[in-house]
Amino acid sequence: MAEAVSPTTSKKPETPRIGVFICHCGTNIAGSIDIDAVKEYAKTLPNVAYVDDYKYQCSMPGQVNIREQIDANKLTGVVVAACTPRLHEPTFRAASKDGGLNPFRFEMANIREQNSWVHMHDREGATEKAKDAVRIAVAKAALLEDLYPKSVPVERAAMVVGAGVAGMQAALDLANAGIKTYLIEKEPSIGGRMSQLDKTFPTLDCSQCILTPKMVDVGRAENIVLMVNSEVEDVEGYIGNFDVTIRRKATGVLSPEEAEAKGIVGGGCTGCGDCGPVCPVTKPNEFEMNMAPRKAIYIYHPQVVPLLYTIDWDSCVKCGLCVEACGEKKAIDLEMQDELVQVKVGTVILATGYEVFPIENKEEWGYKRYDNVITSLEFERLICASGPTGGHLVRPSDGETPMRIGFVLCAGSRDNTGIGKPYCSRFCCMYSLKHAHQIIEKIPGAVPYIFYMDIRSFGKMYEEFYYRIQDEGAKFIRGRVSNIQEDPVTKNVTVYVEDTLLGRPMEIELDMVVLAAAVQPTELTNKTRKLFGVSCSQDGWLLEAHPKLNPCGTTTAGVFLAGACQGPKDIPDSVAQAEGAASAASIPIHKGEVELEPYYAMCIEEKCAGCGMCVNLCPYQALSLVEKDGRTVMQVTEAKCKGCGTCGGFCPGGAIWMNHFATPQIVAQIDAFLLGGEQ
Amino acid sequence: MTEMREYAFFLGCIAPNRYPGAESASIITSRRLGIELLPLNGASCCPAPGAFGSIDLNIWYAMAARNLVLAEQMERDIALICNGCYKSIYEVNHKLKHNDELRDGVNEVLKEIDMEFKGSIDVWHLAELLYDENIVGVEKIRESVKVPLTGTKIAVHYGCHLMKPKKERHMGSTEAPRWIEELVEALGAEAVEYRNKMQCCGAGGGVRGYDLPHSLDITNEKLQNMIEVGADAVTEVCPFCQLQFDRGQIEIEEKFGIKYDMPVFHYNELLGLAQGMSPSELGLDLHAISTEPFLKKVL
Amino acid sequence: MAENPEGWKPKILGLVCNWCSYAGADLAGGARMQYPPDIRIVRVMCTGRLDPLFIMKAFTDGADAVLVSGCHFGDCHYLEGNYKAAKRMFLVKSLLKNIGLDDRRLRMTFVSASEGAKWAKVVEDVVNVTHELGPSPFNRKYGELKELV
Repeated sequence: MAEAVSPTTSKKPETPRIGVFICHCGTNIAGSIDIDAVKEYAKTLPNVAYVDDYKYQCSMPGQVNIREQIDANKLTGVVVAACTPRLHEPTFRAASKDGGLNPFRFEMANIREQNSWVHMHDREGATEKAKDAVRIAVAKAALLEDLYPKSVPVERAAMVVGAGVAGMQAALDLANAGIKTYLIEKEPSIGGRMSQLDKTFPTLDCSQCILTPKMVDVGRAENIVLMVNSEVEDVEGYIGNFDVTIRRKATGVLSPEEAEAKGIVGGGCTGCGDCGPVCPVTKPNEFEMNMAPRKAIYIYHPQVVPLLYTIDWDSCVKCGLCVEACGEKKAIDLEMQDELVQVKVGTVILATGYEVFPIENKEEWGYKRYDNVITSLEFERLICASGPTGGHLVRPSDGETPMRIGFVLCAGSRDNTGIGKPYCSRFCCMYSLKHAHQIIEKIPGAVPYIFYMDIRSFGKMYEEFYYRIQDEGAKFIRGRVSNIQEDPVTKNVTVYVEDTLLGRPMEIELDMVVLAAAVQPTELTNKTRKLFGVSCSQDGWLLEAHPKLNPCGTTTAGVFLAGACQGPKDIPDSVAQAEGAASAASIPIHKGEVELEPYYAMCIEEKCAGCGMCVNLCPYQALSLVEKDGRTVMQVTEAKCKGCGTCGGFCPGGAIWMNHFATPQIVAQIDAFLLGGEQ
Repeated sequence: MTEMREYAFFLGCIAPNRYPGAESASIITSRRLGIELLPLNGASCCPAPGAFGSIDLNIWYAMAARNLVLAEQMERDIALICNGCYKSIYEVNHKLKHNDELRDGVNEVLKEIDMEFKGSIDVWHLAELLYDENIVGVEKIRESVKVPLTGTKIAVHYGCHLMKPKKERHMGSTEAPRWIEELVEALGAEAVEYRNKMQCCGAGGGVRGYDLPHSLDITNEKLQNMIEVGADAVTEVCPFCQLQFDRGQIEIEEKFGIKYDMPVFHYNELLGLAQGMSPSELGLDLHAISTEPFLKKVL
Repeated sequence: MAENPEGWKPKILGLVCNWCSYAGADLAGGARMQYPPDIRIVRVMCTGRLDPLFIMKAFTDGADAVLVSGCHFGDCHYLEGNYKAAKRMFLVKSLLKNIGLDDRRLRMTFVSASEGAKWAKVVEDVVNVTHELGPSPFNRKYGELKELV
């Protein structure tokens, strides 16, 4: 077996005395594994000085016991055979530290998530596997060394990517806590989906009315550096020290500050709107779900923040008429280029929101084939007073007011055909109830028909809202709409559905149908998450660190999640999560420094040939070749090294020592499994 | 002269017995477009998927397999002109190719008549061969037209078994397909969209045989939807649908007292007409509903 | 397929990355997905840590199969470690062929932190293949060449 001599110790390690603590975890482990057999076996292992078992090792008595036994038995290392280290390694490291041992002398054997819980019907197999796991852990523990986490300073700045309601809330909280916050938004205005909504459930507040004060606060906050029309281009670094490159896409329009910086006195865009009318190019306005026009130089709506026009370069013909109309203010620069800006931040929050699933893929409902089938977001714009029809709901085919309106719930959600999404999109039941209310209120005599599978009115005052809508006279038909057909003359739409409560199929002719379409993560979210090293779950939404205990964090230290990008959620939940993420993101910044696990690489200089091949392998450029005592050897910049071990796995001379995952330590585990024990 | 592509022509039952014009039109028009339909001697009923499939699946598999083996022995892919036959022959071919247990079971039965299913050929509906630009294609069809059907409005009935079940077919969109409309428009006619065009004709699944009034109810609804958009004729790619629409109108008049006088054509009959075949060559006088009103517009 | 020696249970070593596959395996546990117990896991931070010599040592020690499991390409917590690991595993596979070991005994898979079901299936699959292959010739108790090692 290779000698475990690291560059840090100049003496050979002392004779190991390992304490083994086996946890029952109630019956979680004891139910599938014979704890006594494992205990007796552990006693036979070389280097083991003490063996114990306890019902709940992570509890106070369990931890106190570890502490006491370290002292009583002069232990040099501790093994706990219990759950996954991803859960309790920090717990037991702390307990070991309390007992006077360096916390990195602790090793865990996972006999729950990867043993007792997955081999519930094979007691013998599970017990044998547990014995092996203990043997493997003891072999590594015998070779572990004292390590000291390194502290790195944390940049006193944060970044929030996405300026919908979640991103805005998070940015405001961080800014109010005194932290400089970069708020990055891909659209020319902040506000996100919430500014597209008419009313919010269940309070029926006007969405833009409650959002505007927040938008103005964001625009005004001293600590918020707002970058709209921008995207994250590149990310380097780690918690406390993220180097983020932002692409500020050219808007073609100067803000008053930018104009001043260029020496144009009293210039810059004031949002006066003189340019719009003279622009010859008309395009669909994405904010209005393409149901209203905008010009190539435009703002989405009069309440945008910041109040600056933007040029859509794909449509602009560079005729210059807008420049003329702008006149003295000289706010338009048709030659403006994208700008790359680099900022350094300590923590990041991703709040990149959602988009609507392309529901035309569910062909049976005729979206994009039939005029009078629309999506819920399109409905929001039609019913919104500031929308393309001034708040009058009209049929796209003829502009008439519809009297019989159908709502298809779960359109593209809870769908296992492979075309739609298998998950529930969470807020569609509630907004469909809201839509039904709005129709009853605005169009006397109109009847909303809600075709549902379930009504998920789960939140505060949501069920009460459901009663209200029932009382107001909305019709509820429990069944999935199988097909929609269009009358070729009247363009009325006929819905085919089974009323499962009555147990019979129905055909209902309606004037208009609204599809409560599923939502999905945006494409830009997928690109951005990879830059920050954030995973996504199987359903495509961003993966939280733990769904119950850490829903705002990710497994990448320093990166947090807020809002729908982590999973569809309504406004209350988005705001709540944003506040949680802001709190979590502010902690490292307030502490001023953060501890990094000391898993970094070290060069064993006597063995290093200076070949330099490891240097190019490092994804963080943490390695370099230096001259030392007349020799060329490799050197690690510890601050940059993340401890992945890619260099260590390669070095042909065995000259790289990976702290806590050193070659002798790993080989000891392999040998312990295959060569140790009864074969 | 391009080489002729040869297929074993599976006739089915209804075309030869009720609409022989569809059979002859298929052979003659295909030949003009580069497809030679060879006789598949000894073929039996496919067997009718709704009727046989509802009663005994093993008989269904075995009879269809026998027909497939005849084509395997000819070393030609099968081409056919009926949705029902398509379901039987295409689906059974597919199932036997991918399910060893099923195939072994069927071969046990076929052994008694010295036959063995090998899975060496493929099955095609003639309509898809006509649409495929690598084989014929809409352009070639357009070029072969001598008597354009200009000024006519034709409602296309896709039927059920050609396109569905979607997971077991390769024909594209099952809610709003347009490819047979394209084939019709290549003949110079206008293919009109009508309400619920993907609905069944009412005949299949054993329904025509078991419950005629209900099957006619469905046909009636289809005809009304077609009339609503001013169709001059119906076209389909299935002789059973053809029977249901054609003979069905006589039965609808008897039972419901409604008279439609809507001519019904198999697509290959229309293709033959457009290529200059005469009504008698197409056996149009054997149709239950007179095709005269349509012919007046065209000829 | 020859009969496997009586009493032989496959010895399978799993070298698994902390961020994706180990987490995925934990998720399988949380969901109580059952799979055969013949695998023993050694955790590393990244599959990029894996020296080909680890795999060779495992086989000389008598492992019947080795499973290496990491993040999906593009999702590596350390950006590129899994690519390098994959390249190394190709090398090791050809080495195995050269010394007469069936190269199916080494397998590399990609299981993300949310793919608990996939982990269970992968282990089941590896165990089945190992049963088909039988004990490694170098297996310390059942291998035909055990005297050589």
